[in-house]
Amino acid sequence: MRQEDNNKDILNSAACEEFDSRLMLLAAGELTPDEEADVADHLKHCARCVEALERERELVECFAASRIEPDAALLASCRSGLEDALDRQEERSWLRRITNVFLPAGGLAPRPAWSAALLVLVGFSVGILGPRFLQRPAAVSGDSDSAVSSDTTGSSNFAPQFPNSGSAPIIDMHSAQVAGISVMPSGGGQPPQVELQMRAQQPFRVQGTVNNDNVKSVLMNILRNNDRFDPDVRLDAVDLLRAKNDDPEVRDVLCHAVHTDPNAAVRLKALEALNGAEPQDLVRKTLLDALVDDRNPGVRVEAINALRNMAAQGKVVSDDHMIAVLRDRMQKDPNTYIRLQSAAAIRDLGPREKF
Amino acid sequence: MGMSVALDGDARQAAAARIAEEQGLVRNAQAGDRLAFEELVHRYDREVLRLALNLVHRSEDARDIYQESFMRVYKNLHRFRFECSFYTWLYRIVTNVSLDHLRRRTSRREDQAPVPDEAEGGTRDFFDRQPEVRAAANPERSLLGQELGQHISAALKRLSPRERMVFEMKHYQGLKLRAIGDMLGTSEETVKNSLFRATRKLRASLDCMR
Repeated sequence: MRQEDNNKDILNSAACEEFDSRLMLLAAGELTPDEEADVADHLKHCARCVEALERERELVECFAASRIEPDAALLASCRSGLEDALDRQEERSWLRRITNVFLPAGGLAPRPAWSAALLVLVGFSVGILGPRFLQRPAAVSGDSDSAVSSDTTGSSNFAPQFPNSGSAPIIDMHSAQVAGISVMPSGGGQPPQVELQMRAQQPFRVQGTVNNDNVKSVLMNILRNNDRFDPDVRLDAVDLLRAKNDDPEVRDVLCHAVHTDPNAAVRLKALEALNGAEPQDLVRKTLLDALVDDRNPGVRVEAINALRNMAAQGKVVSDDHMIAVLRDRMQKDPNTYIRLQSAAAIRDLGPREKF
Repeated sequence: MGMSVALDGDARQAAAARIAEEQGLVRNAQAGDRLAFEELVHRYDREVLRLALNLVHRSEDARDIYQESFMRVYKNLHRFRFECSFYTWLYRIVTNVSLDHLRRRTSRREDQAPVPDEAEGGTRDFFDRQPEVRAAANPERSLLGQELGQHISAALKRLSPRERMVFEMKHYQGLKLRAIGDMLGTSEETVKNSLFRATRKLRASLDCMR
């Protein structure tokens, strides 16, 4: 009898080895119905495998229970980071396309003679035309509120940037870079004094408050040419122009920044700067555009907050377009906060639907 | 019976419509429609992030894997020829990025570095979370669970990157072995062997604990 039991154990042990991997697959839900039936037959006679299967299942349960779910904040930050990376990638692609149009390197590479001829032609053109451009005189203003001064005594430059001509030094805003901005607060609610150090072929300095045309012009130029100036310079420019958001030119340039600046912080600040500006229609339109078009959720959040703020103060009149935009955002915006705020804005502003 | 067939037919139609809609999105994204691409991202990015997070256990590393994966998808989308589902193709990229990350980390022995506390912006080891869930029900079991979790966690770090990937895709993503094979570009049999080896190593580690 004992001998029979021993033989049975040996036979079972050999079969168990065969079933070892199947038990793992059974616990993981990976066996076909036929295979499951085979294992079930074996389990009827083998307590050891029943126990092993129980252990496998416990292990699988333990893994399943300990799964980490990414929280909403991490997911949101990943999405935001990806959007920024995509923005940068698209900018690079755009630049590459432009470069390829003007410099078709692929087409010229197998034709060295054409490449050489093109180089000679470009060099010749620059040699002939360059000095003519550089010798054109330009004018700079000087008024009571500001001063524009050249740091050198050079006599040639180009760019009719400042309309009030005089005998002042020559500046070139088309290629000028901002070397530094100093802002000195003024008392009595006056706008701060600004000093802009410009780096150009002939360096110059512009001083005054934002009420001065030259200072305003340089600051607006910075925002219009957002690809040439660093984001921190553009942020300073928005900050300084904010005091003049009732000026139509300034308002236009702030709207331009909201629509086109590649940096989300600059767009955000420009939105803030527009808040409270007149006429409300233009501001409202810009806020709605930002709410619809801006890739950055932070900017869209600021836009919906500003809209709700204006609505609460009775500064905004709703129309069908605005309600349609808010309804669209309420349904489609990936950001939960914006969807909720859009719904609240519709509730505040929109006509009640009749059921 | 008739009702069941009708339901099956409806389910098949719904699945076909879903596939067609997704293919439309992919085509739009291939044509440069950024919104279509973002729609595709939002469909699958939670699962991608979950896989990354369970593999590397650190939110910073998981974020890197997420971004690198989707940027590769964006740059290579024009190469997608609809020979498999977009989901499978996406996961091939994600698993490649994750395997590279795990291999780099293994070679740098970063696993030995202390894991930052959650309060410092890091994510605790996932097995550390386990007792919190069960503590209220049974403190003794909670303690055992914590100990078990630590052993499994240590054993997981000893798996090869591929074994670990297969294990995570099976147990945390709930994918079938055949799908895992498609995504990893290997056969179901190879995946089965990897899972078997991984489970055997984990079991051996647990037996040492007893």
